[in-house]
Amino acid sequence: MKFFKHKYPKPVDEKRLPASAYPAPPEDAARIEKGFGLERAANRLPIATERTVNKEMWSLLLANKNGFILVAIFQLFTTIAALIPPRAFGNLLERLKTDPQNVVLSRTIIIVFTALVIQTLLVYLTKVRASILGEFVLSSLRERFIERAVQLPPNVVERAGSGELLTRTTTDIDKVTWAVRDAVPIITICLVQILGISVAIAFTAPIFFAAIFIGVPFLFAGTRWYLRRSPQAYRVESSSYAIVNSVLIETAESGRTIDALRLGEERSLRTHATISRWLQWERYTLRLRTRWFPLVETNYIIPVSSVLLMGSYLYHDNRISIALITSGLLYAQMLANPIERMLWWIDELQTGKASLSRLLGIYEIEEREIRKASPDGEEISGKNVTYGYREGRDVLKNLSFLVSPGTKLAIVGPSGAGKSTLGRLLAGVQPPNRGKITVGGAEIGYLPVEQARTEVALVTQEHHVFVGTLKENVTLARPNATDDEVWRALAAVDATEWAKNLPEELATVLGTGGHRLLPAQAQQLALARLVLADPHTLILDEATSLLDQKAAKHLEASLGAVLSGRTVIAIAHRLQSAHDADLIAVIEDGEITEWGSHDNLLKANGAYAKLWRSWRDEN
Amino acid sequence: MHSTPFDHLPLKNPGNPELASVARFLLWIIRGQKRVLSTGTFFGVANLLSLAILPGVLGHGIQAIADDDQDSLKKWVLVTLLVGGTQAFTGIMRHRRAISNWMSCATRLQQLISDKAISLGAELPRLVSTGEVSAINSNDVERVSGAFDLIPRLIGAFVSFFFVAILLINSSPTLGVMVVIGVPLMSLLIAPIIKPLQSRESIQREKLSRSSNLASDTVAGLRILRGIGGEASFLARFRIASQEVRVAAVRTAKMRSLLEGMQIILPGALIVGVIWTGGSLVVQGDLKVGELLAFYGYSSFLMVPLQIMTESAQRITSAVVAARRVIRLLSVENLHSWGVSEAPNILGELKDTISGISIAAGEFVGIVCDDALTADDICDRLGGYLDAEKVLIANAPLQSFTRDSIRSAIFSQEKEPAILSGTINSHFDVPATKRLSIDEALMAASAMDILDSLDGDGYSAEVVERGRTLSGGQRQRLSLARSLYVDAPILILDDPTSAVDAHTEARIAARLREVRNHQTTIIFTTSPLILDHTDRIILLVNGYVKNTGRHQDLLTTDGTYRDLVVRGE
Repeated sequence: MKFFKHKYPKPVDEKRLPASAYPAPPEDAARIEKGFGLERAANRLPIATERTVNKEMWSLLLANKNGFILVAIFQLFTTIAALIPPRAFGNLLERLKTDPQNVVLSRTIIIVFTALVIQTLLVYLTKVRASILGEFVLSSLRERFIERAVQLPPNVVERAGSGELLTRTTTDIDKVTWAVRDAVPIITICLVQILGISVAIAFTAPIFFAAIFIGVPFLFAGTRWYLRRSPQAYRVESSSYAIVNSVLIETAESGRTIDALRLGEERSLRTHATISRWLQWERYTLRLRTRWFPLVETNYIIPVSSVLLMGSYLYHDNRISIALITSGLLYAQMLANPIERMLWWIDELQTGKASLSRLLGIYEIEEREIRKASPDGEEISGKNVTYGYREGRDVLKNLSFLVSPGTKLAIVGPSGAGKSTLGRLLAGVQPPNRGKITVGGAEIGYLPVEQARTEVALVTQEHHVFVGTLKENVTLARPNATDDEVWRALAAVDATEWAKNLPEELATVLGTGGHRLLPAQAQQLALARLVLADPHTLILDEATSLLDQKAAKHLEASLGAVLSGRTVIAIAHRLQSAHDADLIAVIEDGEITEWGSHDNLLKANGAYAKLWRSWRDEN
Repeated sequence: MHSTPFDHLPLKNPGNPELASVARFLLWIIRGQKRVLSTGTFFGVANLLSLAILPGVLGHGIQAIADDDQDSLKKWVLVTLLVGGTQAFTGIMRHRRAISNWMSCATRLQQLISDKAISLGAELPRLVSTGEVSAINSNDVERVSGAFDLIPRLIGAFVSFFFVAILLINSSPTLGVMVVIGVPLMSLLIAPIIKPLQSRESIQREKLSRSSNLASDTVAGLRILRGIGGEASFLARFRIASQEVRVAAVRTAKMRSLLEGMQIILPGALIVGVIWTGGSLVVQGDLKVGELLAFYGYSSFLMVPLQIMTESAQRITSAVVAARRVIRLLSVENLHSWGVSEAPNILGELKDTISGISIAAGEFVGIVCDDALTADDICDRLGGYLDAEKVLIANAPLQSFTRDSIRSAIFSQEKEPAILSGTINSHFDVPATKRLSIDEALMAASAMDILDSLDGDGYSAEVVERGRTLSGGQRQRLSLARSLYVDAPILILDDPTSAVDAHTEARIAARLREVRNHQTTIIFTTSPLILDHTDRIILLVNGYVKNTGRHQDLLTTDGTYRDLVVRGE
């Protein structure tokens, strides 16, 4: 036996686990501390505290209290109807025992059958009402979450990784859905049933009250023990399971790289390790259930035996009837079911609650600060702009500049110098840590998002084709644009040809599951959106980097018409854009080291000039 | 109870599944876990039987009270406790084995799927979508495994049903036959609701997945929305989808409520029948009061095995569908077959018989291609990812060697290499010659600044999913550093500096040759900064070699070349 104990389970190969993996659970059924596994959450999105979740659940309940009360009343009557048949049956047995010759069977039959029909109707009504209510609560929860999610400050989402927000929008919403749809109504129903049956026992067979509830204190203590451990454990267990899948997705998506680097063996070991960690948690929760389940199951047999014993003692003394014993026995059995079901679903509810706390967590992220202002003019200026993603590590250091309307400004410099960060600040995606960036005198980083976008729009090298038609994809910024306007925008970015060749032209569904666009086409699409958005200032961050040389040249030529008259700030590593620009800013290590026109910079013979010569091959 | 029945999982080797048919596949899984399946079945049967006999035991108890027989009562109370204890014990044992069955099946399938994805490697995207792999790995694996958790219970349901049936017929043939026929009849009456319920459920699932796809799509494109707008119209679309889910869910719930109502009235009606008939039997003296109570209990108990059977029918059907999808994935075969001999140590000339490219050992070559997509294909081809029979190394097709030896001889870096999640150090934890240190590789790729931008010393900082926390240029340089670090005898790079700014590109170009140390290096690029450092340039037009020569010569002699390479005219 000892031998086996050491052979299995095998220790997990910690080295192979991804960073997102949770630590191992305790060896036995020891309690894990609250918030276990959240230590590394520093960079994750916040999770709402237990108090916030409870508060939110109460406020949901209160907001829909009429619905809940209606459902509870329906359920109460259902329970009362369900209590009649055992009572009638007990009476029948009694009469069969004492006076079999004068039994009127049909009376019992009519009572039982009527109760049954009423119960059935009530069950139907209760369930329908409960689901209408539940689905309403759910849809508003869902919609409010997404509404908040799209307003989150992008830097917070990026730090956490968009996967994190994605999990919350899919898995966690599903889990809450499931809890609201099943757990909440079932627990409500069970509670009402337990209450109803208890009242019935108190009125019809008060003598058995103690016998029936004898097991409850043990059950209560045991369940408390269990619930102190299970919620965190299930949360970690399901996250560990999700990690198994995310490792596989990474393997599948990185097939070419893994193949080239001959990392197959390593990936296989990684899958093995993540499965092992997940199984450790499965074992832990199974150990918890191994202690708790038997307690719940025996909760049913103890009251039944007690009623039998007590009944026989009292019957012997002629103090009660067979009818009373029978209904006591049936009530004891009836009660076991909702108690067991309720405990089981309270357990399930924990998972839903864990997910709800993750959903509500995003409300704890500080909202973007808004300062109302109306820009006067289109001049862009920066004063002592300093920005860093982390304390003490500034990406942009004390930049000051002035861009007059209609200027074409090119920003060049080594990668990692802070060009893209500057682009985002200029677009008002977020304000700088210190100093300010203003458009027409108004701080763009504090303008309401919708307003900021009418001033400045940003297109980056990152491309995403949304699920929706080509038209929907182009008209993001102007949902009411006409087909003609969309075609004009597509023409401006050189996309007419392939757009005309799509199976249903503007109505072709694109994105995941729809027609796939090439990366270069997706980039043209992004620019077409910009054309329709029609802001006075455009920020293009490597916006043509995915196009090949020839196509990029062509596109830039056709975009020219659209861009004329606007301020354009282009971040590029292709020096051609720089050559064509009115002004060039060279950014190195977070500072503007050179600023001026192409010709002036060449004359100055600094970093830009050197680069230009090597690039133009003028050795 | 610290040990569990699945301590031996995950297996070291998931084995070779039989994929000829669903039946053989499922049998193969069964064979792999027959021990835990059979003990599970034992406890499943014992658990339902102990549930089944309880009404009889309680009936005897009541009868003993009615007869005022104290000894008999004590005996039956004891039996009640015993049966209850057995029920609790077998219940948890069954559950433990059910979980083990589920786990055995699920982990084995996950390992098989992961191994399949690994062996398909670079070909996977051409054969199956990653989304499908992920869906199969979670949903379908769960469904197939669910069937194995059900089998013991299903067998228990059959055994207990027949056990109770015999018990009933023995004690009262009239009532017995009535219950034994009545119960299945009742469940047949429920059957017509099942189908419309399922179809409503599937509509609901469809709507739900549409709305959650819409939500995740919006979140994935959040940055784009931030730059250009459109949140409002996306929210509007999501609200519509979400409301459709609500309507569909309520429709399903109505049907399900109907089902639940039927599940009350139908068995209820049967019980009424039992009371009626049983009552008259008692009046005639053919049945005892306690026996009538037992019949009341049995008729309600029989709903349990019946529910298990109905549930099983649904779940097994969906398990079969899911198994079919798993089999389809596991039977996907690599497009290429590979030889058994090792690639020669001294590699010699690399030759693409399609395009006419030919590169001598030790050359430092630039390839300029008039079309980016063709460049990607040729890069794949030279690396042995495409048409490996058409590319020769020392006059033998790549395909005639083992895949592993070709991969170690030729390293072909695709346009956007994946960055696997892990630390910077683990990023370099790949088979390599170790001629270069990590720092030297990072330096050569001009990527040392990445370390500074990360937490701590940089090396142990985490790079998250797909390197999203890094900029495009940083990702590209980190990949380049890794490719240089591997130090393969032949290195092919597909546009390795497309996202890198001109400053950095110039620095990289200056260092590449030295770092490669006279080993064959092929770079697909149109950057004059890099091309100027090469021994020779091959110009491809429409996928075929058009010209070859040095950068300066081609600039002056070849107009096509000049158009492709020179910028800013």
